[in-house]
Amino acid sequence: MSHDKLLDHEQVSALADGQLGGDEFGDVLAALEKSEDALASWHCYHVVGDVLRSGDLGDTRGDMAFVSRLRGRLAFSVGLQLNDEALVMDDFRVGQVLPDAAVAVSNVLSSASANDSSGRWKLIAGLASMFAVAVFGWHFSSGDAALGAAAQLAAASGGSTAFVAATAQTGATGLAEPPVMLRDARLDELLAAHKQFGGTSALQMPAGFLRNATFDTPSR
Amino acid sequence: MAVSASHVWAQTNVVPAVPVAVEAKHGELGISDWLLRMHEASRKRAYIGTFVVSSGANMSSARIWHVCDGDLQMERVESLSGAPRSTFRRNEQVITFLPDSKTALSERRESLGLFPDLLKSADSSIELFYAAKQTGSERVAGFDADMVVLQPKDGLRFGYRVWSEKKSGLVVKLQTLDVDGRVVEQAAFSELQLDAPVSMGKLTQMMANTEGYRVEKPELVKTTAIAEGWTMKSTVAGFKPMSCYKRPVSAPDGTNPESTMQWIFSDGLASVSLFVEAFDRRRHVHEGSMTMGATSTMTRRLSDKTGDWWLTVVGEVPRNTLIAFSQGLERKK
Repeated sequence: MSHDKLLDHEQVSALADGQLGGDEFGDVLAALEKSEDALASWHCYHVVGDVLRSGDLGDTRGDMAFVSRLRGRLAFSVGLQLNDEALVMDDFRVGQVLPDAAVAVSNVLSSASANDSSGRWKLIAGLASMFAVAVFGWHFSSGDAALGAAAQLAAASGGSTAFVAATAQTGATGLAEPPVMLRDARLDELLAAHKQFGGTSALQMPAGFLRNATFDTPSR
Repeated sequence: MAVSASHVWAQTNVVPAVPVAVEAKHGELGISDWLLRMHEASRKRAYIGTFVVSSGANMSSARIWHVCDGDLQMERVESLSGAPRSTFRRNEQVITFLPDSKTALSERRESLGLFPDLLKSADSSIELFYAAKQTGSERVAGFDADMVVLQPKDGLRFGYRVWSEKKSGLVVKLQTLDVDGRVVEQAAFSELQLDAPVSMGKLTQMMANTEGYRVEKPELVKTTAIAEGWTMKSTVAGFKPMSCYKRPVSAPDGTNPESTMQWIFSDGLASVSLFVEAFDRRRHVHEGSMTMGATSTMTRRLSDKTGDWWLTVVGEVPRNTLIAFSQGLERKK
């Protein structure tokens, strides 16, 4: 390890502890900008600080397993979504409901749905039977910040592709907290409870009950 | 607008004779008339069919047997996809047999009995938030059906496209449409035999035969949100509280944490459940949201000076509706 590098690390440590000021503060920030190694140290010192403050954060085994699973799913779902846009249920757009949404709803409902061609239905059915895996149907997001960023992307480039871009970016950089909500046994219980007692709809008797009894919640 | 719609509702608050009276006047029916017609059809016809549900990229199918006698309705739903599963319904009583685990889940679903009485009641506000429009005819599973769009009047709920068999009114296909009009979920009969010879006696016998199965009943306690210390400081337009329960939910480590409150809201077509439980920093790590087909869910930590809670909101509604619910919930104790 070189002397310069050692100095960098010590300075980064001091910066993380809030001990730097004046020119030194500016110099170290500039070094952080140029050196990936210094940036890694900056992140490392923060993780160390977090672990010292909270023992629970020390166990990262779950995180690594999670990141590995997420990467695999992203790689698979990105490929799938690029092949068939109908499989993408971009839930970001519903966060953008505007005051004139009713007008838009009125217009679109009067015509056939964009994804309602019989060919599309068959395609979805075929793919669904081939890939009965939960992750394709689930689309994740976390926090208003992530929602806002994705919404902007969606507004800029339109719909589902934006979501793919957003998730792919996150997966590639690895810097942002994964924008996901993990589906677990507890959530499955609550979903089942909602279907059981929350299926409070006038459409329940003609079709809702049959729907819930028929639909097999995909396995995690 | 609201006053006008209420006035119309008051005038049409008479159950139409089904199906005869509607034969020539489909175009004039309001949403309550359509819903009642669809509901009555399932109460008066026996049928056997194959039902297919597509949600997101997942598809399930089941064989259906339905029979009715006066006020008594029975159904058998035999899953054709996924894990083997048989569901029997006798009015509000439902039992689901899971052969793999030799478990039978027995439950009473009060929500099944809420309609159509709610539609007939004077305080039904469904017409304030949805409008029905007949958009044409199409054949489904070999039957001519009216296509009816149940169109939301704001962005807080999804729309529905319903195919109602022309003679009986039976729903043979149903699509849920998001705010952009895209199909997020659909269910349809791929094959249907109306007025089929279904034996109620045989279904009753099968439903009662739990031999070899461990029968489980959900431990539910009816309560009120106020009694649990919760209120909605701002309501979400059109959604009314329907019921509230406390239920134990098992933790991953097998222990039973404090019970979870489930507060259920409905606007007549869509429903939302608010689950509130004590915050547990080991389990409640990520706030976030997910969508699968028409069903969305989001989680959020709630804090005030008296404590911390974990809120999970689930519903067949746009995600901003879930956000509105999460922001409206307030601790009162």
